[in-house]
Amino acid sequence: MKGLIFNIQPYSLHDGPGIRTIVFLKGCPLRCRWCSNPESQLKTPQVYLDCTKCIRESGCNLCDQSCPAGALHDGILEHSLCDHCGKCAGVCPSQALSVYGKWMEAEKVIDLIEKDSVFYAHGKGGLTLSGGEPFAQAEFALELLKEAKKRRIHTAVETCGSCSREVLREAAGYLDYILYDVKCMDPEKHETFTGLRNTEILSNLEMLFCEYEGVHKHIRTPVIPGFNDTEEEIRSIRSFLDGRPNCTYELLPYHRFGERKYELLGRRLPDLPKELDTELFERLKANEIPG
Amino acid sequence: MAVLELSPQERRIQENHERAAAQEKERRPLRLLHRFAGTRPRIDIERGRYFTESFKMTEGEPLILRWAKALYHYAECATVYIDDDQLIVGRAGKEGRYGILYPELDGDVLDEAIRNLPSRESSPFDISDADAEIIVKEIAPYWKGKTFHEALVQALPDKTRQLTYNEDEEHTSRYIVNETASFRSSIQWVHDYEKPLKNGFKGIRAEAEEALSGLDEFSAVDALEKRPFLEAVILTADAIILWAHRHGKAAQEKAEQEKNPVRKAELLEISRICYKVPENPAETFYEAVQSQWFIQLFSRIEQKTGTVISNGRMDQYLYPYYKADKEKGQLDDERASELLECVWVSMAQYIDLYLSKTGGSFNEGYAHWEAVTVGGQTKEGEDATNELTYIFLRSKREFPLNYPDLAARIHARSPRRYLYEVVETIKDGSGFPKLINDEEVIPLLLAKGAAFEEAYDYAVSGCSEVRMPNRDTYTSPCAYINFAAALEMTLYNGKMQKYGEEEIGLSTGDAENFQTFDEFLKAYLKQQKNFMKHAFIQQHEIIRLRSQHFAAPLGSSLHELCMKQCKDIHEPHIEGGIDLGYFEFIGYATVIDSLAAIKKVVYEDKRLTMARLKEALEHNFEGYEIERQILKHAPAYGNNDSYADEIGRLLDRELLEFTKQYSKELGVHLDLRYVPFTSNVPFGKVVSATPNGRKAYTPLSDGSSASQGADHNGPAAILLSNFATKNYNFRNRAARLLNVKLSPQCVKGEAGTEKLVSYIETWRDLKLWHIQFNIINQETLLDAQKHPENYGDLLVRVAGYSAYFCELSKDLQDDIIARTAHVAI
Repeated sequence: MKGLIFNIQPYSLHDGPGIRTIVFLKGCPLRCRWCSNPESQLKTPQVYLDCTKCIRESGCNLCDQSCPAGALHDGILEHSLCDHCGKCAGVCPSQALSVYGKWMEAEKVIDLIEKDSVFYAHGKGGLTLSGGEPFAQAEFALELLKEAKKRRIHTAVETCGSCSREVLREAAGYLDYILYDVKCMDPEKHETFTGLRNTEILSNLEMLFCEYEGVHKHIRTPVIPGFNDTEEEIRSIRSFLDGRPNCTYELLPYHRFGERKYELLGRRLPDLPKELDTELFERLKANEIPG
Repeated sequence: MAVLELSPQERRIQENHERAAAQEKERRPLRLLHRFAGTRPRIDIERGRYFTESFKMTEGEPLILRWAKALYHYAECATVYIDDDQLIVGRAGKEGRYGILYPELDGDVLDEAIRNLPSRESSPFDISDADAEIIVKEIAPYWKGKTFHEALVQALPDKTRQLTYNEDEEHTSRYIVNETASFRSSIQWVHDYEKPLKNGFKGIRAEAEEALSGLDEFSAVDALEKRPFLEAVILTADAIILWAHRHGKAAQEKAEQEKNPVRKAELLEISRICYKVPENPAETFYEAVQSQWFIQLFSRIEQKTGTVISNGRMDQYLYPYYKADKEKGQLDDERASELLECVWVSMAQYIDLYLSKTGGSFNEGYAHWEAVTVGGQTKEGEDATNELTYIFLRSKREFPLNYPDLAARIHARSPRRYLYEVVETIKDGSGFPKLINDEEVIPLLLAKGAAFEEAYDYAVSGCSEVRMPNRDTYTSPCAYINFAAALEMTLYNGKMQKYGEEEIGLSTGDAENFQTFDEFLKAYLKQQKNFMKHAFIQQHEIIRLRSQHFAAPLGSSLHELCMKQCKDIHEPHIEGGIDLGYFEFIGYATVIDSLAAIKKVVYEDKRLTMARLKEALEHNFEGYEIERQILKHAPAYGNNDSYADEIGRLLDRELLEFTKQYSKELGVHLDLRYVPFTSNVPFGKVVSATPNGRKAYTPLSDGSSASQGADHNGPAAILLSNFATKNYNFRNRAARLLNVKLSPQCVKGEAGTEKLVSYIETWRDLKLWHIQFNIINQETLLDAQKHPENYGDLLVRVAGYSAYFCELSKDLQDDIIARTAHVAI
């Protein structure tokens, strides 16, 4: 079975225990206003243009004739005309034109993951599925987890929780570690800022707490200025989590690393939140539940 | 803009000197250090002068005896110094940083070199006019026509010589099949220091006396070989004892003048120790440290060992003295550190002077690395870590000086505390320690014929090599082979852009006629094999000639096999010894990436024709940026990409097969190594643009590291690529040097320490030989290039050693900057 992957990142130290390889699956049901991985949202491959790599000034014009949809002229990509066939990326010598998203066989992906397995031996490292929302490609994600388990690879997932209950239930059976986002407790506010209410997210989490007590849940909240950067917001999440077994809680500071990617995709830069107040963030961290 | 996370070293440089000044008052070694730090080294001519005087008087005598007499003459005549404030005495030159002369090595180019020395770009030296005149008039003329270098030039067959030397008067290196035997008299070496510390030279002398009395008066071999050897050992023991006593006397005289009662007592203690060691066994930690330094320094005076004679397993052989003194309450850890640091500043003032251009470019930044080895396993195979191990590590964190180099042995049962302290030390950012992997080294030594107890007890020596001090017997410096030049010759049918129409390699045919990648690859492998042939011809002659030019009575007297057989360590064959030599692959990633690019771009994807590729290369990519970009994006080594790594493994295997077949007849192990020193810079200067997108005459890739900037898959991938390109079924492999550059941000805090420990454990599990780290921000390096005045203290990891960044040539600085910095891990 094939799935659409936009990155495989070996030697990650921050997403789960030990040294891990992260597989990023494309597609996400949420549209968070602060999204720093806009290339992960759609479940289709996307062509992008990085002008800083373009060598047109050195006389290159290889892409001019390459686009069947007529979206490329003089080194400018007309995103609205692009049908993302990727032919231009095939001729671009400097990879200024490139594609986010590559269809890959599940088994092939796990072969790659297994190549790094010598790194997993120290500190319970392994595979982390991320996205997007990995369960947006539910069948593929399940296939990856099953195959990984078969090969005795430690598995983790990074999920926003907005996915089918049944898929999550089945997946949890193959998971050793779950990284789960809780962004805020108020359903309306959640909808305003992410496009969806959090009802499913919270009830899915309840299900995991009830049915998969043994699997570690690491709950994370990205602290976003103007959305949830208050004591009250964080405390209400914290009290939802208090007393839960096998659970840790961490706050992630908001950063604006994703800005450039909007540009590459030809998207108008959304009205991103301001920089996070670091002192405030340090204060909020008092609510964390360490492992 | 986020604030840059700084390494402790970077922080010190920023906070700068106020605090340093305060510390200096309290810390003796810092006071000593600041007397000479940043000063330009000067040449001291005494060693060259007294050796020459002695050699003039001993012509016709056995070489080893001549060497001993020269050492004795030096011991009698050389100036002895008792530095103010120092606790450890012994230097081989004037105050400040100094280099000494080895005219027996480079006497043929000495006068010319002396004229150029103050102005050369890498590692310049100063010399007084009067001294320069003595060199030109008295020293150099004697050696003309007598040096090893000249003999080797004459001995090599034409074709080999063509690949080795330029046709200039000095026979400078061509940097293709490069010999390293004429800028040093031995490859990296380490003594068994335990023996002289335990027995003293009195004991060694007695051993020789006894052997002498047992000689068979009717035996020709005893008369002509053993007798001179034993007499030389006795005379050398007398020489070092005399030299130490002269220090004792000088300290005594200084004490008599001294007004300060504290210093007076120190001087009297120094005097007492110098009269005692190294003649007699050491009994305290202080005596052992002083004795070791006398032996080491006298060994430097004896001969120019590649990268300077190493310190061996100091945390092992000094430990009994440390332990006994501590138990008696005579020593605390502060004092132990102080004594060691007093030796470090003595080592730092001796500069390994390379007169020839070749030598200088191999060892930029005044490189010498008298490696101290810590950790590892005992002869019995137990973990060897002890309290002294941690003192060495702490000293490197608190007293970051680039000498001596520190090598930490890692094995499967290294204690957690050790691994964590090693990582804490690495995180300081000055490049120490480098790591050597017991799990790779020990099985290999066993496969090469060592006993378990010898293999467990190996010491690191030089860049990343190892030695078994009583079992290794191979000292011939070996070939450094520029295989990127072989690749260039494949493209141009045996010619090189730099040398025009000269037919320098094999005619393997017009590359444009090769129909498949396999044809191209076959042609390359022919060129590669041709280089090997000439490298081994070189080595044959080097082995044959060396014992006629060099002898080392001191070094030989510390070697069990040499003493038993009464043979100098330079002899081509010593019964029972293991001859561990090597040959060097320079430009590994450059060649792999170039072949991968040709395979992919020319033959598979057919995006460029061979003709077009060559056109782009001949124009150094000027006006061919499209071609360059296509080539640069082909698969590259260092990314855990089997496309490139398979090619790397094939090249490695071909070389291993060659040496498996042909090194036997030379009677030695010539093993495949990937350790460039800084030679990837000068070797790059003869190679035109390469198909991996590298511009003409820029540095080649270093060691077994990826091409500069070609590793974009994170620091795990380079380990895996290294693993994937090794042929573990051959025992003919040796050291692979691996540089990894990390930003301080990615190893930040306790979590960062933990992850770096895991990374090192993985490196260990993969059975890779060596690894070293630069933990530094790119911004710091760039700023240091712009404002060297602010960065006099900035240490960076170069090859198997650390050096002051600002003392490196611009080319090498650029090379270090171009190494990929892994920011996000």
